[in-house]
Amino acid sequence: MQKVIQTHAKAADIFCRDESRVDWHSKALWVLREKRDRAASSLPEWETLRALGSQIKLHTLNQLPGYLEAFEAKCLSQGVKVHWAKDGAEHNRIVHDILSRHGVKKLVKSKSMLTEECHLNPFLEGKGIEVIDTDLGERIIQLNHQPPSHIVVPAIHMKKEEVGDLFHEKLGTPKGESDPTRLTRAARAHLREQFLSADAAMTGVNMAVASEGAVIVCTNEGNADMGANLPKLQLHSMGIDKIVPDLDSAAVLLRMLARNATGQPITTYSSLYRTPKPGGEMHVIIVDNGRSAMMRDKLLGEALKCIRCGGCLNTCPVYRRSGGYSYGHTIPGPIGIAVGADEDDTHSSPWACTLCGSCSFVCPTKVPLDKIIFHRRRLYAERKSLPYGKSGYMPLVGRFMASPLLLDTGMAAARIALKILPHSLLKPMSGAWGKYRELPAAPGSSFEGWVKKNRPELLVKSKGEK
Amino acid sequence: MKIALFTPCLVNQMMPEVAIATLSLLEKLGHQVIFPQGQTCCGQPMTNSGCFNEAKNTTLKLLNAFKGVECDAIVCPAASCLVAAKENFHEFDKSPEAQAVIDKLYELTEFLHDVAPVTQFNRPVAKKLSLQLSCHGIRMLDLAAPSEYMGPRYNKMEALLSRIDGVEICYPERLDECCGFGGTFSVDEGAVSAKMGKDKAQAHANTGADYVVGFDPSCLMHLDGTIRRRQLPIETRHLAQILNDAL
Ligand code: SF4
Repeated sequence: MQKVIQTHAKAADIFCRDESRVDWHSKALWVLREKRDRAASSLPEWETLRALGSQIKLHTLNQLPGYLEAFEAKCLSQGVKVHWAKDGAEHNRIVHDILSRHGVKKLVKSKSMLTEECHLNPFLEGKGIEVIDTDLGERIIQLNHQPPSHIVVPAIHMKKEEVGDLFHEKLGTPKGESDPTRLTRAARAHLREQFLSADAAMTGVNMAVASEGAVIVCTNEGNADMGANLPKLQLHSMGIDKIVPDLDSAAVLLRMLARNATGQPITTYSSLYRTPKPGGEMHVIIVDNGRSAMMRDKLLGEALKCIRCGGCLNTCPVYRRSGGYSYGHTIPGPIGIAVGADEDDTHSSPWACTLCGSCSFVCPTKVPLDKIIFHRRRLYAERKSLPYGKSGYMPLVGRFMASPLLLDTGMAAARIALKILPHSLLKPMSGAWGKYRELPAAPGSSFEGWVKKNRPELLVKSKGEK
Repeated sequence: MKIALFTPCLVNQMMPEVAIATLSLLEKLGHQVIFPQGQTCCGQPMTNSGCFNEAKNTTLKLLNAFKGVECDAIVCPAASCLVAAKENFHEFDKSPEAQAVIDKLYELTEFLHDVAPVTQFNRPVAKKLSLQLSCHGIRMLDLAAPSEYMGPRYNKMEALLSRIDGVEICYPERLDECCGFGGTFSVDEGAVSAKMGKDKAQAHANTGADYVVGFDPSCLMHLDGTIRRRQLPIETRHLAQILNDAL
């Protein structure tokens, strides 16, 4: 899909025009948040787990080179081939090299946001390799020529009727069919053919266990296993941040991953792969793609604690009302802003946030998302690339607010204006505020004015005040 | 106690009734209240936009108004301004005098619940109140346990209000979802902000309460504008106003 360059606000404005769709989208995701609350509250040790999860990830990130090397050594000793890619382009080249060496014509892939980030599909398709996403949601949007709009439920923006129309066109299901069970059955039959005819399989990695040289892949549909177990050749792509020290630490994160994503106690299939099958090959591609650069900023680096449960998207009141495509980068929502804001050419995504902080509290590894988003804004301001005309008006606001005299006379004028001007005159002036809300009723005087008049004995002048 | 009132610009300029109620309530509780002159904005509109340079002068002006003022506590009836003031003072001035000011800063609910606890009110208020749990107050000032958090439950605003005879307390659906004000978010992201405000105002109205009550004037102003635009059968009140009526 072509990249659309528009600010988050503009994209959100368009999304918001269909209010019933916004309500439906917001509700569908809120249901996940509610399920998450029930699942999390069923574990009395939930907050302890979160603290532990955060420590595990921080510890590993702080000693990343050591753990990555240990992981590689273990992999090699078990006959797994390991590749290192500094960016998406190198990752794609490595994948293509492996595939072309084996003459692969069709690759089945199981959900991986990393391959989305590297834009692997179009790259391979350009080289004549057919790529089939096998996660049901991923397959739906692939057929619809769209990127994921959510990291866990990638087709959440589509209603079942729309999926029915799409399947009718692409898979030949009966016209008007919108029953999820029957549609899923049709998709399953279609995917089975793909699994059986694929020459190689590729998966993302939820965790890579250093002590075992094993990768853990979690799916609810078993599609990663269907893929990886059939053909001789299997590939696994992982970001450098996916490493965990051992199985115990993986277990801590696994207890939270599915609970925080969909409210399930655990993902239906959590599979460990650590050796190639007899006569086959297993490759692990370890990708940096900007991650180590992010780690140079201590706060931004904390975003790498993320285990991609999607909980922060589900709880985010802005994401739920603006949809995944409004963010201008691969990963939407709070974590998307934290890790992907640099991809957004309009610089507006860090402002797609009220800084309510719900995401930081929902996060199983305590990624300080609101602090990171706040920090992103400051980085943009320092680079003088603020959106929405802020570079122009913020200095004026700064001067206005810093001067009690200006503030006082300005606000007095505003109060008078609010009182005497007809609202129809004021509304255009007050822009987005007055478009959607009534203007505040104006009081007669400021509190300070009131004190001066009624309680002057309360006034004190500070020593600091010059 | 001797209390210096901190009234952020929004309260000072647009909602003086909140400051007057705060003053009156603190005096009824037997505190001595003073009002340091020269207060201005906490710098939040600028720092929230990333513009720290632009925020500096404003923030230091406000800090200066409190430096060296003799008092036991500095109390503010606006949660998000208080959080911003604390953080910004710290950002721009690391001196011991600044720290002395920071150490005395309290949000009103926090002050009445933790510092100088009010255990009893003497006048009944026969109203149904739908509580507005504003984000900065609950998630940054610990005024209540946020719904995402699975540790012990607490809610300081509810604890205070439930000590008033006759009051009935209720919550909107999605009780602590953000109302969508978010400072300049309300103008930068007009459509989403308006939709969030609409959903929140409607959820409060659906409870059948007389008032939406909260500790953050900016959220209340946003909700009030939405409520009046949609002519919903509910009004907004600041916590200080309800508590003042009960004393
Ligand atoms: S930042 Fe936290 S809540 Fe969001 S997807 Fe990552 S782990 Fe989940």
